[in-house]
Amino acid sequence: MSSRTLSYVLAGGALVGLTVLAFAVGRYPISLSEMTSLLLGQPVGANVETVVLQVRGPRVLAALVVGASLAAAGTAYQGMFRNPLVSPDILGVSTGAALGAVLGIFLSLGVFFIQLLAFAGGLVAVGLVYFIGSRLRGHDPLLALVLTGVVIGTLLGSAIALLKYLADPYNQLPAITYWLLGSLAAITPRDLGVAAPLALLGLAPMLLLRWRMNLLALPDDEARALGVDTRKLRTLVVAAATLMTAAAVAVSGIIGWVGLLIPHAARLLVGPDFGRLLPLAMLLGAAFLLAVDTLCRTIATIEVPPGVLTALIGTPFFLWLFALARRSW
Amino acid sequence: MIRALALVLMSPAFCASQVPALDASGREIRPPVKVERVYAAGPPASLLVFAIAPDKLVGWTRAMRANEAPFFPDRYAQLPELGRLTGRGNTANVEVVLNAKADLIVDVGSTGASLASLAAQVQEQTKIPYALFDGRIEATASTLRSLGRLMGNEREAEVLARWYEKELVEAKERVSRATEHPLVYYGRGVSGLQTGGKGSITVEILDFLGARNAAAEARAGLAAVPIEQVLIWNPEVILTTDPNYWASVWTDPRWRSVKAVAAKRVYLSPNLPFGWFDFPPGANRLLGIWWAGKLLYPQTFDFDLRAKVAEFHRLFYHREPSAARLDALLGEPGVLAR
Amino acid sequence: MLSVESLAFGFPGRTIGRDVSFSLEAGEVMCVLGPNGGGKTTLFRTLLGLLVPHGGTIKLDSAPLETLSRPEIARRAGYVPQGHTGYFAFTVREFVLMGRTAHLGVFSIPGKRDREVSERALESLGIAHLADKPVTEISGGERQLALVARALAQEPKLLVLDEPTASLDFGNQVRVLQRISALAGAGMSILFSSHDPDHAFLCARRALLLAEGRVLEIGAPRAVIRPDTLERLYGVSVKVIDLGGGAHTCLPAVGR
Repeated sequence: MSSRTLSYVLAGGALVGLTVLAFAVGRYPISLSEMTSLLLGQPVGANVETVVLQVRGPRVLAALVVGASLAAAGTAYQGMFRNPLVSPDILGVSTGAALGAVLGIFLSLGVFFIQLLAFAGGLVAVGLVYFIGSRLRGHDPLLALVLTGVVIGTLLGSAIALLKYLADPYNQLPAITYWLLGSLAAITPRDLGVAAPLALLGLAPMLLLRWRMNLLALPDDEARALGVDTRKLRTLVVAAATLMTAAAVAVSGIIGWVGLLIPHAARLLVGPDFGRLLPLAMLLGAAFLLAVDTLCRTIATIEVPPGVLTALIGTPFFLWLFALARRSW
Repeated sequence: MIRALALVLMSPAFCASQVPALDASGREIRPPVKVERVYAAGPPASLLVFAIAPDKLVGWTRAMRANEAPFFPDRYAQLPELGRLTGRGNTANVEVVLNAKADLIVDVGSTGASLASLAAQVQEQTKIPYALFDGRIEATASTLRSLGRLMGNEREAEVLARWYEKELVEAKERVSRATEHPLVYYGRGVSGLQTGGKGSITVEILDFLGARNAAAEARAGLAAVPIEQVLIWNPEVILTTDPNYWASVWTDPRWRSVKAVAAKRVYLSPNLPFGWFDFPPGANRLLGIWWAGKLLYPQTFDFDLRAKVAEFHRLFYHREPSAARLDALLGEPGVLAR
Repeated sequence: MLSVESLAFGFPGRTIGRDVSFSLEAGEVMCVLGPNGGGKTTLFRTLLGLLVPHGGTIKLDSAPLETLSRPEIARRAGYVPQGHTGYFAFTVREFVLMGRTAHLGVFSIPGKRDREVSERALESLGIAHLADKPVTEISGGERQLALVARALAQEPKLLVLDEPTASLDFGNQVRVLQRISALAGAGMSILFSSHDPDHAFLCARRALLLAEGRVLEIGAPRAVIRPDTLERLYGVSVKVIDLGGGAHTCLPAVGR
């Protein structure tokens, strides 16, 4: 079988294996027999059912959804900006979401409203960047977007800094810090029920347009000469990728590196054709974040922030992959 | 000429003539003879300065909110906002501090090297003596006395210190008579998944009460724990300071099987005008000691909580709360019962 | 096929050419000559609807350009830009397949017919053997041929090539010009620009001399490419030699 197919098979296999493992391990000791009893629908201790179905289940699924979403968004952005160093946050969705969440914490709102504000914040930030960036005529459209993204991102970042400064240091500031570090610890089934459909909603256009998106990798003139309305396509791609990322960040906080490294790794394995790249990136992203999150909740009594681990694990993993692959990106 | 000379002679630099004292961080403090205006650098300090001599407090670190003001006499509730000076969250402008024309700056809390050097720095800048005091619960009485001496209000401070000491001794005695020590978990934050390990200032009350902290093995600071860990610990009582968490815990399927939730022993600490349980980490925590004691050891903490709360407010906030206000405070869902 | 009347063109806020009028029939090859910076590329981009005209009219296949959508333009006219590096590592086959976009629905992916058309385009340019190689790993000349193949995959009636022989070796230059002649023979209209006036002699029916954005002359190559017009365009002294049998060539005076 070709190396490409092999990549898919391995990624899919890894994902399945990791999912099984993730359900099986955790701080709360659950024996194999208890697990089988639960799967067979037999009665088990109340805690066992809670841990597997209410705690681990949503968390594992959330890791898959968030990992896949971030990877998909990163893939779309890297293709769109023709740059492998682009992360989903280039247009400010993470910073906008962070501002929304920090504002929610600052106003002592409940979890639902914090997540809602985070989601809205991410969308508004990108909307603002896109609105301003696309009105900067006379510049390369992509460059205008990137620069606007940097500027707005910095502005939002300083707003976050201000809120951190004004927050009650005993109560709100630690909450803000924890949110910004990212975590899947507080995932509830309801979070998943809202985030997953939103992510799918963002994924749908990307899947439908997967062939056309390859043309965004060409210089703008060429793509337009081939019959593509690049502005409309870009807007749609940005909207879809932002929707996926905002949904992910709203429930998990900021988890970096997944959107940057995974598409890269996937591209090294199967090349740049978006139709092949997107599914593999999503498989790898889901598997990677699941592996990281499983570690985060099992290696110590306290929770380790996933962002720290994604960087620690991801970087050598990526370097290894880079050395192994023969093709250029 | 005479006037200029008089002004110079009257300035704080010349008026230091009390016996120089050592503050809790070991630094020498030379307060002026008459201390009329005291700037409290953080909420625990504000509380104590206000309790000892409310007229000498120059301002609060954060303006009183509408729901906090009714607990204080009106003229004090409207004191200006001056910002915090050191410790976590430094928002004060040194010029504002100078403009407040304080004779003395006071902070109550940690007395470690980093805060001491910060205090020395501000003292250097402003030429105002800056004293640090120990903020631990057990040190409250001695802090009150030292502070009183420094401010020239020994008599008032002595009354408060004696009372506070008595209450602490009584609380400890009640604890010693308790036969059951339930496993208790303190959940912070909107998810209830932040807590403090043994020795953490955040659960000082639990340590004081000799309670079995479910999260004792977590780090001695602030720690985020996975919910699975809480399920393993399976505490019998949960205390929290976050109303959102308290409201959600009853319907959240993940918390359902925890003993405390099943037995409906999840309690929400009151937080007006200052929180009772965790923050701000000042003398206000005496209220939390009574409250938590009552919840954990109901047999031996069988006093009239209302009366005690009223007395604390009278002594420390200089305003006895009305019956209606006490009802509101203690009758809030989650404080003593669901 | 293509008809241009009093066209003024340029960038937003800056007009760099005006009063350009000409027309191109089916099977006709026109070569645009002019110095660097004279407006050739800008003119081409305007003709393809990539830049907004500043005045005048353009009709593509009898339809005014502004009434045509992007895909409609792409089905009529194919663009072969000056190839450069900076592409992602698509295979040549995938690259050429992109030319079929104008014939696909927004959500479609290429089907059997699309693949057949691309294969034929690859074969007709003699690069079918490169089909599985990444576009980033072939030579500049091969990449240029791939670009032509991509444009051909669009099945256009007009082909616009911007300096297609720039940076090609002599052999490849000849091959490209041969292809251009063959395509014209099969009925395609071709508009191409070149830095070498000889190319006009070799395969163009008409030449358009563009200087400072204005048409200097337009007509049969042997009529318009003269020492005085070449001097006007390039600022160098050139002799035009008649080789008999309708062939001409330029001989610049380099001196010794």
